[in-house]
Amino acid sequence: MSVGLVSVLFVAAALVAVGAFAAAWRRDLTAALAGVPLMFAGAGVAFVGVARFGAAGGPQLFGQEFAVLLAVASLALVALGVGMAGRESSR
Amino acid sequence: MDSLHAIGFYVSSGVSVAGGLGVALLPRRDMRGASLLVVAIGLAAIYLTLSAGFAAVVALVCYAGAAVVLAGPRYRSLDVVAGPVWRQVGGVAAAVLLALLAYSAFRGAFAHVTIFHGETFGTAGIGRLLFEHDALAVEAIAALILVALAGGAAAWRVRDRTR
Repeated sequence: MSVGLVSVLFVAAALVAVGAFAAAWRRDLTAALAGVPLMFAGAGVAFVGVARFGAAGGPQLFGQEFAVLLAVASLALVALGVGMAGRESSR
Repeated sequence: MDSLHAIGFYVSSGVSVAGGLGVALLPRRDMRGASLLVVAIGLAAIYLTLSAGFAAVVALVCYAGAAVVLAGPRYRSLDVVAGPVWRQVGGVAAAVLLALLAYSAFRGAFAHVTIFHGETFGTAGIGRLLFEHDALAVEAIAALILVALAGGAAAWRVRDRTR
């Protein structure tokens, strides 16, 4: 049993599709916001996988750097969205 | 990669995708928050099996924080005006997206053309171009987009309040 770039990209595709499904399926807009971190997670997995398997000979830190950036951005997006929803619903 | 790492990768992938389905389908917000926590654990395990330890720690902390925010007491629901037909269209579009991405991953015929300095222009070449040659510009554009989004949201709030 082994893991290659195709396996990693397939997992990334599944995470992106599940995130898109969550964003489209939820009737509650704040709950739909939770789909965005899932899509970001899929993108991060793809970046780390390409850095691990695709960038032969090069350093692996470039993809990891972008995965870190995506994780921080997804947390900021969820916090901003929940905060705005709270202000909007209290009016 | 040995078979122990491979088993860990596939198990953690299943855990994270199952958590994502829980985020999409579970009815209560605390259950959705717990599902996002499961996604965080699975994602960190995926990063660990791909030898990305620092990214695993940061992803675990950030996604656990997002789960706490989504399950916390400040959560307020906002209903969307879109009807059930549009939700079903969105679900079908997500399935089509999965099919397209899976086809692209399995086919694996990524672009390979020669560009400047004789480098190969594939996925590795694009990554090297973005994060080695133009890393500062990419970070600057990301910061610019984030500031523009925050500024747009703030401007929308101010205009809405003065109306």
